[in-house]
Amino acid sequence: MDLKVGIDVGGTFTDFIVAGHGGEPLIHKILSTPHDPSIAVIEGLRELGAMIAPDMPFDKFIASVGTIVHGTTVTTNATLTHTGARSAMLTTRGVRDALEMRRGIRERQYDNRYTNVPPLVPRYLRAGIGGRLDRTGAEVEPLSLDDIRKAVALFKAEKVEAVSICFMNSFANPDHERAAAELVRRELPDAYLTVSSALLPTIRFYERVSTTALNSYVGPKLNRYLDRLVVNLQDVGFTGILLIMQSNGGVMAPQVAREKAALTLLSGPAGGPAAGLFYAQAHGVDRCITTDMGGTSFEASVSFGTPAVVNDGEIARHKIALPMLDIHTIGAGGGSIGWLDEGGMLRMGPQSAGAAPGPACYGRGGTLPAVTDANLVLGYFDPDYFAGGKMKLDVAAARTAIETHIAKPMKLSVEAAAAGMYRVACNNMAQGVREVTITRGYDPREFPLIAAGGAGPIHSCLICSELEIPLQIVPRSSSVLCAFGMLLSELKHDFVRTFVQRFDAIDWPRLQTMLADMKSEGDHILADEHIPPARRRFVVRFDCRYAKQYHEVSFVVPLAAIESRNGTAIARDFHAEHARLYGYSLEGEETPIELINVRLQAVGATEDHGHAKRPYDSDSADHALKGRRSVYVPETGKFQEVPIYDGHALRHGNRIAGPALIETITTVILVSAHFDCVVDCYGSFAIYRRGREELVQTYLRKAQAEVLA
Amino acid sequence: MKVDPILLSVYARSFKSITDEMSISMTRTTRSPILCEAKDYVTGLYDAEGRMLEQTENLPILAFSLAPVCKYIRSYFGDDIHPGDVIFHNDVFSLGNQNNDVAVYKPVFFEGELVAWTAVKGHQADIGGAVAGGYNPNAVEVWQEALRIPPVKVYEKGKLRKDVWDLIFANIRFDIVQHDMKAEIGACRVGEARVVELLKKYGRQSFDTHKRALFEATRKMMEAEIATIPNGTYKGEGSIYYDGRHPGSEFKVRVTITVEDNRIKFDYSDTDAQSNGFVNGTFTSSASATILTLLQMVNPDIPHNEGMVEPIEIVIPQGTILNAGYPKATTFGNHLCPPNADAIQRALAPVLPDRVTAGWNNLLCSLTTGIDPLKNERYVDIGFMGLKGGSGAMRGTDGYDHIGMIDASGGVLDQDYEMFEQQTPHRLIKHEYLSDSAGAGQWRGGLGVETIFEIGSDDTQFVTFGDGDFEPAFGLFGGGPGTLNFIRLTYPDGTEHTPRNKDLITGVPKGTRYHQQAGGGGGYGDPKARDRAKLKEEIRDGVISEDAARRLYGL
Repeated sequence: MDLKVGIDVGGTFTDFIVAGHGGEPLIHKILSTPHDPSIAVIEGLRELGAMIAPDMPFDKFIASVGTIVHGTTVTTNATLTHTGARSAMLTTRGVRDALEMRRGIRERQYDNRYTNVPPLVPRYLRAGIGGRLDRTGAEVEPLSLDDIRKAVALFKAEKVEAVSICFMNSFANPDHERAAAELVRRELPDAYLTVSSALLPTIRFYERVSTTALNSYVGPKLNRYLDRLVVNLQDVGFTGILLIMQSNGGVMAPQVAREKAALTLLSGPAGGPAAGLFYAQAHGVDRCITTDMGGTSFEASVSFGTPAVVNDGEIARHKIALPMLDIHTIGAGGGSIGWLDEGGMLRMGPQSAGAAPGPACYGRGGTLPAVTDANLVLGYFDPDYFAGGKMKLDVAAARTAIETHIAKPMKLSVEAAAAGMYRVACNNMAQGVREVTITRGYDPREFPLIAAGGAGPIHSCLICSELEIPLQIVPRSSSVLCAFGMLLSELKHDFVRTFVQRFDAIDWPRLQTMLADMKSEGDHILADEHIPPARRRFVVRFDCRYAKQYHEVSFVVPLAAIESRNGTAIARDFHAEHARLYGYSLEGEETPIELINVRLQAVGATEDHGHAKRPYDSDSADHALKGRRSVYVPETGKFQEVPIYDGHALRHGNRIAGPALIETITTVILVSAHFDCVVDCYGSFAIYRRGREELVQTYLRKAQAEVLA
Repeated sequence: MKVDPILLSVYARSFKSITDEMSISMTRTTRSPILCEAKDYVTGLYDAEGRMLEQTENLPILAFSLAPVCKYIRSYFGDDIHPGDVIFHNDVFSLGNQNNDVAVYKPVFFEGELVAWTAVKGHQADIGGAVAGGYNPNAVEVWQEALRIPPVKVYEKGKLRKDVWDLIFANIRFDIVQHDMKAEIGACRVGEARVVELLKKYGRQSFDTHKRALFEATRKMMEAEIATIPNGTYKGEGSIYYDGRHPGSEFKVRVTITVEDNRIKFDYSDTDAQSNGFVNGTFTSSASATILTLLQMVNPDIPHNEGMVEPIEIVIPQGTILNAGYPKATTFGNHLCPPNADAIQRALAPVLPDRVTAGWNNLLCSLTTGIDPLKNERYVDIGFMGLKGGSGAMRGTDGYDHIGMIDASGGVLDQDYEMFEQQTPHRLIKHEYLSDSAGAGQWRGGLGVETIFEIGSDDTQFVTFGDGDFEPAFGLFGGGPGTLNFIRLTYPDGTEHTPRNKDLITGVPKGTRYHQQAGGGGGYGDPKARDRAKLKEEIRDGVISEDAARRLYGL
């Protein structure tokens, strides 16, 4: 066996998925161990061993694991809870407050009790250093090594664990930062060091200073965690390759993660979009909206050929300018609590009951009505078959919570109140999907929606109705989507240089040298990660704008166009992308285009570990029918007896007409009245708007033909 | 048709996402840094009659003139409103708030009937008049400061009226204004499409029924908030220093607030008469100031629609400095928000000690123009980073550092330092929190900032506009005042020049140092009661000096 294991450590659960043991990828979930997440990782591997090879000793089993891909929320949590490293910073004299000022924003304008976020580095540890470069990178004043020595002496006395260096205009010339770094390394050899021009040599001081500080802030914690994880894995006999999931949707070796720790700030959810795309491709499309509903949040992202990326993300109100997948998170999960505002209007979330006390129906002391309580009252959950029957749900507690807090004050029945909670939650999620589609210039109707998460597919029909999305796919690995995505991920490394040029007068030789440098950096890292040249590829993007605009549009540039110095073709792509995003372009007008940043992504292909395609079975789903139950049907607004199917018994080609419910141990799916469902070749559930059968027909016919042949 | 209480929530959320989407479209497509970096614009959605359904208010001082103008446009054109029309407006004598704030209104039709309006209003880089950028401290009449645009169709039934378009832009200096107005139109189209989608889904009748219910629910929320203020009559005062033409001139804003159960009335009848300069408010700029100050004293999550403003009555007689008569100059009017807010905070402090704040730092701004020798191009820079002082403290919460004037409340952002150095020839020397600027208090005021840059080209021009260099932000209940604003130029030969707070300085040579301080906000409560651990941290961080800690805080 050469096993590949995806491990996604979340706040409540640690998800596992294993491929390469001969059968279908195997899913497993255990409770997380937040004080030391590596404990659950090892424990889960043990349990997996017992499931896959009950007779094999654990050390033998672990020796057969070739690759582990790991998603972690260590850095995310450190940032959200403000428990990162004790950090210090060297910056240009006169601008040491940029990090804390955040350009003077207060996100809630009418709320005088809304305070600024605590800075990642306290003010007295932000040292202003003499020395200055001008806007072209030319030295105006030499770097003051004396200032640095004084600062470093303070840092030593204050026992700082991490230092960041970010000087004005270093994107244009890294010399001052390099000299400062050398001194810091000599004087503080144990401190974790981030140098802005090495991490992110792009223009915009606040973005760069914030990103640099974040990297130092989370670096030590990630390093300690990786140390423990690596030791624990070695102790149990793991000799394979460990890869870390990064925010851009790729994976990287631990040694890269150690240096660029901020690349893991979105490590947890970053597997989702690639997984979504995999399931969409089964239907012959290379685009999708991936949604994943967890206990406290709902995540949405869009993929168009590849998952969408942003270069100006944010975490806990701090800017991060490293490329990250464009995953939009809103506070709408199973634990989201329903409440009435002062005007008596029903709102859902963002407060969540979390895992403790949890929704009222968990019977763990929660008394406030959560989405899960509403779903239970509406009949979507079987109180005796929640998590496959491992957990009993308390219907009476759910009803009481809804009655007390929603139904009575709104003068509604408990059922009507629950239906209201369900509809408002769905509407919130639909708005979240809008954020990643319509506001980014995509029409959601042209994308299948991937509905993941244990309870996500209960809500997806209404979300799709709201947005007029005709096709949704509930993946086979719905409850562990991100872990599954980790099995598919490639090694990805991003490089960027600010190169301000008028498009009609590009210095091509310099551009080509710059790209060659970035490419050789990428080659170097991929070689370290044992990726042979044949499995490497490189993607170039330009960030451009019309002269005098302030925001750039990032778009892919074919390597051939750069080699042939075909500026016209590149400009055409820019106009097109601008038009797609903002509804107009200035093609044909005089307005010049400016190039701001040049980006290169080095990709190392890994082995593909998706699902195997299953042969076509039959149309009928009768064999999987396990009963009937009265559930709320959103289209009619009424309760109705609907058939319940055992999802584990359904096979490729089986068809189900809505309204119906499909249950698996970890996922419940509502096929509502205006939808029908067919099981696809991966065992996923393709749910399409009635009358739009053509959306699934082509691939079904193909599958049938393959069987007949 | 019955109101579906759940659908009501869906409408409310959808309206908000529509105006947010319009706002994103603006940020991403506009060019003037005032719009795309500082977000000096508002996007809104109104019903057929021009009543506010929702707004995204990046800069609240513009916000509460959009609905009144919408109603005015509705009656101005009467039946002559058609699908595909696009209407411009900035005229301050037909309810506009400021000449530079040019609005686009787009009627939305569904099944042949007018059902709503989308609108965007943004501060344009130029609007004609005598001085580039619009701030002309010598103006006494509107024509000396701007091109007036009463409601005018630039598109009629979907067709561009090229003659009208060209007439307007022939009177405006910078080409980017055309592009930015196109961006406003684009954002209105984005909103229009979304409204039509919503109507297709739920139908006209449902839309109307729920719209009314939304107004009603919000009105009740606002009334409930007002009902928590004790009945009575409260008076307060704020000061304006210098009208731009008469050194030493001073004006008072006087408000009388009457609370009667769930209604509140703001009466400015005792306010001083209008100035003979450009320091004059318009009705809607002043009313916006009143509303945004009140909104900071109630639940911050109250939806912004017509229901919210219904229980509020505002009386500002024409001819006062808050509501100048035709044809007075008024460009400074938006910046009369700080003294207006001061008057309201002072009036309500005795009865709402938990909800008012101490005084906020008043705006003092400079606008820099010149030629960048590296590119041989003209630039305009508004010194946002330099103007943002601290907010006033309130019970339980320190003031917000470097937030800027109350009329923006943290919605206007600093230029990025490196972008500033790319867009202008100047080099930033310093932009940091100003030590000891915060008004002392159990809860201290927000910190101000100090800005220094070196002028990088000859013949640079500055326009200053603002206040706060005569009177600092006031403290409350034993809290101390913030610090004063100033702007100072140090020429290469060592001579110093301190411009007035409304001034024009030309021919500034290369190598001159620009030095500005934006003061801190006022403190709240006895400084001796301030948390000692916090105070020690602030001394360590250098934002409060040991001397001040001893003197003011008794450490």
